[in-house]
Amino acid sequence: MTLLESAFNRSFRTLLGREILRFVRVWTQTLIPPLLTSLLYVVVFGVALGGRIREVDGVPYLQYILPGVALMSLITGAYMNTSTSVFDAKRERYIDDILISPMSDAQIALAYTLGGTLRGLIVGVGVFVVGMPFAGASVVNPVMLLLIAVTVAFTFSALGAVVGVVAARIDHVTFMTNVVIQPLAFLGGVFYSADMLPPALRVATLFNPIFYMVDAARYATLRASDTNPYPTLAIVAALAALAFAGAWWAINRGPNLRY
Amino acid sequence: MTGGGVPALRVEGLKKTYGNGLLALDGVSLEVEAGRFFGLLGPNGAGKTTLINSVVSLARPDSGKVTVFGKDAFAEYKEARRMIGVSPQEINLDKFLTVEESLLYHAGYYGVEKKKAKERAEELLERFALIDKRKARTSTLSGGMKRRVMFARALVHDPKVLFLDEPTAGVDVELRYSLWRYIRELNRGGMTILLTTHYLEEAEELCEEIALINGGRIAAQGTKDDLKEEYGARNVEEVYLRVVGHDVA
Repeated sequence: MTLLESAFNRSFRTLLGREILRFVRVWTQTLIPPLLTSLLYVVVFGVALGGRIREVDGVPYLQYILPGVALMSLITGAYMNTSTSVFDAKRERYIDDILISPMSDAQIALAYTLGGTLRGLIVGVGVFVVGMPFAGASVVNPVMLLLIAVTVAFTFSALGAVVGVVAARIDHVTFMTNVVIQPLAFLGGVFYSADMLPPALRVATLFNPIFYMVDAARYATLRASDTNPYPTLAIVAALAALAFAGAWWAINRGPNLRY
Repeated sequence: MTGGGVPALRVEGLKKTYGNGLLALDGVSLEVEAGRFFGLLGPNGAGKTTLINSVVSLARPDSGKVTVFGKDAFAEYKEARRMIGVSPQEINLDKFLTVEESLLYHAGYYGVEKKKAKERAEELLERFALIDKRKARTSTLSGGMKRRVMFARALVHDPKVLFLDEPTAGVDVELRYSLWRYIRELNRGGMTILLTTHYLEEAEELCEEIALINGGRIAAQGTKDDLKEEYGARNVEEVYLRVVGHDVA
């Protein structure tokens, strides 16, 4: 108990509170655009084109894509939050005020990571809830879905902390979003089942971590997936642990952060 | 306050080499007695800021030992850092926060209880004439006001030792004098002050004891009067020039 109390002490809670304040204060940039973009996906791919595709794995198309679309916005929301927050704090050096405080590096890494996790969750859950009436589906296993959502958001938020520290320029941060995360998300089976792909691409998909995340989210929502969800959950949890270790390293030893 | 007790700051054999191979601190040892007004002088790039940064782990020294009121700055960093307030050379205010929030969040990072933080922030806002600007985002302030917020922020968690890194660089005369008055008052109240500056008249005016740092080493240290006597100088400026070695034409 005392260990928990000291880990989540006032210093930690203050930094977490600051991270939340930041994205709430700029909500027109952080919360509304991803919601809108995702709803456009739902409308374009689901409502407009969905009539032609009808069903995938025995599920109406809009229902099939909704968990993945929500997860995609959760991933970008979580990643963008932490990467830009840490990058800005580093560039303008106000992160120094945090680094010289009595907080441990692990606490700093965790507060940043949880801030981004929360923003990812708000956006992801928002997309899901708003899309539900169009898709007309219910969630088969909400606890599992929430667990996946939290773990995935945590993973990408922690990754954002690493990139925020390591990036020398803001284009390094956006490069990761546009050239790594977005393509992996699009190719991660959000809009199709891996079975629909030619064999070579299907094998390539298995190396895409986002594929497992999308698949697990879809399984929890619909009981329809390409893989067995339990090993997938283990992979997702392992990635979260790895990403957090990275965030901790970045705060502790990362380049361009301390002199 | 002085003599015999645990020193406010003790630095032993501190070495720091930067990634580019630059040796910034070459075995610096230094002791600052509790309650002193201590000046750290030296040319640009001498290692003044590196020394301060090393104490608060903003720079990672290669070797050496640092204690703050007897607490090891690395092994017992939580206790040590709680006792230190830093006003850095460059403005580094959180642009997402208002003036008042800058103080309250900083206090929170240092674990200060909410009610106490509010009272303390109120006092400091008043003291630095920032009451009217309390709700303004820090990014909208003028340079002098930003500087004032930085001082208030360094003090809001009630440190026992205050590091002022070039506090009056780019500050108008009025603010400089009012700042001098205020830090003198803090010092009289028992706070240890470590001031780095390259305005020599500032050191002359404020500091009891001075260390001159040059090329990553302490080149001279002593009370102002002892140094003047030792170097046969009339003022700190002459001491400085003799030690650092630039002859005046």
